[in-house]
Amino acid sequence: MVTTIIRRAYSRFATSVLDIPPRLLAFLFLLLFLFLPITRPSSRILLILISTQIMAIFAVSWDLLVGRSGQFSLGHSLFFGVGAYASALLSKQFFELPLWATIPLSMIICALVALFVGILCRRMRGSYLALVTLALPLILTVAFISLPATIAGGENGISGLPLFFPREFFIERGFNWKEALYQQYLAQYYLTLLVMFVSCYILYRIAYSKTGIILVSILDDEVASKASGINTTKYKLMAFVISGLFAGLAGSLYAHSKISEGTVGPAGTLALTVSFMPVMMTVLGGIGTIYGPILGAYIITILGEYLRVIGEWRLLIYITIVILFIVKWPTGIARYATEKFEDLQEERELEEREKKKKEKK
Amino acid sequence: MPLLEVENLTKRFGGLTAVNGVSFEVNEGEIVGLIGPNGAGKTTLFHLITGILKPDSGTVKFKGEDVTGLDPYKIVNKGIARTFQVVRPFRHLPTIANVMVPCLSPRVKKKIEWLKSPERKALDMLEEVGLSDLMLEPAANVSHGDLKRLEIARALAAEPDLLLLDEPFGGLNPIETDFLIKSIQRFYLDGYTMVIVEHKLYALMKLAKRVIVLHYGEKIAEGSPKEVSKNKKVIEVYMGKVA
Amino acid sequence: MIETLITLLILGAISGAIYALLALGFSLIYGVADVINLAHGALYMLGAYMFYAFVSSFQLESLPALVLAVIFVGFTGMIIYRLFVHPVIEDVLAVLMVTLGVTLMVEQLVRLNFGGGNITVNLLQGSTEIVGVTVTTQQLLAFAVSLSLLAVLWIFIAKSKIGGAMRAVAQDREVAMLVGINTERLYMLTMALSASFAALAGILIAAYTVASPGMWSYPLTMSFAVVVLGGLGSIKGSLVGAFIVGYAEKAVTVLIPQGSYLQGLVALVVMVVVLLVRPAGLFGKRMEIER
Repeated sequence: MVTTIIRRAYSRFATSVLDIPPRLLAFLFLLLFLFLPITRPSSRILLILISTQIMAIFAVSWDLLVGRSGQFSLGHSLFFGVGAYASALLSKQFFELPLWATIPLSMIICALVALFVGILCRRMRGSYLALVTLALPLILTVAFISLPATIAGGENGISGLPLFFPREFFIERGFNWKEALYQQYLAQYYLTLLVMFVSCYILYRIAYSKTGIILVSILDDEVASKASGINTTKYKLMAFVISGLFAGLAGSLYAHSKISEGTVGPAGTLALTVSFMPVMMTVLGGIGTIYGPILGAYIITILGEYLRVIGEWRLLIYITIVILFIVKWPTGIARYATEKFEDLQEERELEEREKKKKEKK
Repeated sequence: MPLLEVENLTKRFGGLTAVNGVSFEVNEGEIVGLIGPNGAGKTTLFHLITGILKPDSGTVKFKGEDVTGLDPYKIVNKGIARTFQVVRPFRHLPTIANVMVPCLSPRVKKKIEWLKSPERKALDMLEEVGLSDLMLEPAANVSHGDLKRLEIARALAAEPDLLLLDEPFGGLNPIETDFLIKSIQRFYLDGYTMVIVEHKLYALMKLAKRVIVLHYGEKIAEGSPKEVSKNKKVIEVYMGKVA
Repeated sequence: MIETLITLLILGAISGAIYALLALGFSLIYGVADVINLAHGALYMLGAYMFYAFVSSFQLESLPALVLAVIFVGFTGMIIYRLFVHPVIEDVLAVLMVTLGVTLMVEQLVRLNFGGGNITVNLLQGSTEIVGVTVTTQQLLAFAVSLSLLAVLWIFIAKSKIGGAMRAVAQDREVAMLVGINTERLYMLTMALSASFAALAGILIAAYTVASPGMWSYPLTMSFAVVVLGGLGSIKGSLVGAFIVGYAEKAVTVLIPQGSYLQGLVALVVMVVVLLVRPAGLFGKRMEIER
């Protein structure tokens, strides 16, 4: 009885995952990162991966908005920042709510902000939308800096935020001080890995669903989409809200992880460089694909780390490389690779057809 | 009660009056032709009826209800569908997904609820216009003639009571033209009401039972194809004044 | 009361003129080449820093240093266009991303070479009084230079052959190409002009404030606030918009107690409000938007 269940489960798994190359790839990817800690990587590497995983969520949320519904957001750091600040304010500044409460709450706040922004921008096209979204996080930055420090922390932001799995948690369980720190990194690593996987999966399912088809129709030709009976405003707002929700999640994860060291300030959350991150990652990886930005996130973060060796010049080279990518492969690596793959397949099919013709003769 | 009542519709763009006090009716089951030289305001008229442009004055009534100036998607959901003169496919989507979009509109979702899935309906529509073997082809790779047929499939998929076709024969070769004439005749027998804007008069006169002629935004003639083709003013407008 | 108003009047005029110089460059490249150059602020910053470099490291006198810096940045602008913008000019999003990337690049370069702190750039010293308002000589210089350059530019665009070509391309690119205008070269020239103006503005303003690696951000937002307010693509609009923004800012600083930190906000808010209420701006082309 048990064996039949196991066998059936396995065959379902085999047909829905193992047989499909991209899904197999994603599965192997997950396994790789799941078991990576066996090799006892340094806390620095774990930190890099935590950062990547959070950025991946951020980038994929951007891709849904831009690559799928065609609303150019050049100020996605707005949601990242709101998510980070909301969680900071709820967990330290105003209240002392536990993290499992502040994070969902800040996601909801972000969704509301996104709804507001979406409504604001619902009639804007292309460059206008890009400019407004570019300006919004900057406005918020000025607002936060100007408000008294007791409210929003001013220029330096809010510090002393509770982190996920604080050291005490591990010390209570018998680890010594140093080991507890490492365990904290490890725990945050797994947490962000899990959240990244779940979030990206959800976003993937949305993008490749019937709703996703509607979003692409809006991207391609909003007038034609309306002429097909679609309430495009509703779907555009939906895209904004979902995108903002997950970007806010990324922001609040950032706020309470080792990356921020418990400090949330405008420079690290609302800056233009933060807005540019998902853009770089998505464009590199493949805009509109949803899995492309994940690839882009890994490449960019790892690239960034390797370039650290070069020292001060790394950021420069980094950005230059990215710009070159934008120019050379505007659709991104993932798309480029898929296209090449499809071209190869077509060639192979043609060859086979030629062979069959010859055989008939 | 006529299906569509257009009364005194006027639209100005700055100094140019594109549509000037046009009125006409369309009854259920009819095929009405809309002709006129370039720039006569035919497409603008379609834009006004379907809500893409708001008229400066006049009304549009559909099934007795005033739909003047409503948001285009609302008008589609009331039962008016159209094709565009210059095709507007969703280039990133395969043809079947293109046709699926209208199947996901509130109107169609309600109509097909327990009967079939949106995918099934989309496939049926593709078969209706003869494009089912291009099902998975991205619209960006499809030829112009096939895109014209895709436009029609998409309009049909919206389960319309009134179908507005804007130059459906544009750019089609004789074989495609013939196929389309036969398709439209089939739609007529299926009971669709249609208004067709067309320059290829040979095709249009074959299909339409009644023809309306526009010139510089005004209606200058209306009647059966025979009557209209004998109308002095119409001949003047198309051929120029006979000295 | 009258004193505050007069202060406002004069300071606002100075701001307006300089902003006009800066915003005009931004508007030009948009009107002619349809490029929203997010690196405009970076070029402004580069002008200030190059001037500083020429004066301190190369020991040049102020005037030659200024001229050289402007030429250098003008040239850099052309290169940026050719290398980064030209390949992706069809894709608006790509242009935005690339120019944004260039901005960050330039900021990094500046940080690496000159450090992250503030730098003082000096042109003229001293101050005078106009109708009882203290104005530094530097500010006066900035005002005078801006006005004269604006006049020169106006005449150039209105009367010269190249100016005519620019206007033609701005109106209808395809037809301009058909008539034989070499759009590529025209874009590069416009870019050079735009960059030089930005650089000049950078030097003039830095001379009475400071220069820092983050100084590109404000002029950029201000430029597009002005251009959006005036109407994307309208030269007249940019001029009017510049003065409106200049006065609005000064009004905020002067009239609201402790309002100086709000100054940066004015441009941004203006832009967002305009985009929401009347995206075409004051003098922009009104488009019948398909719904």
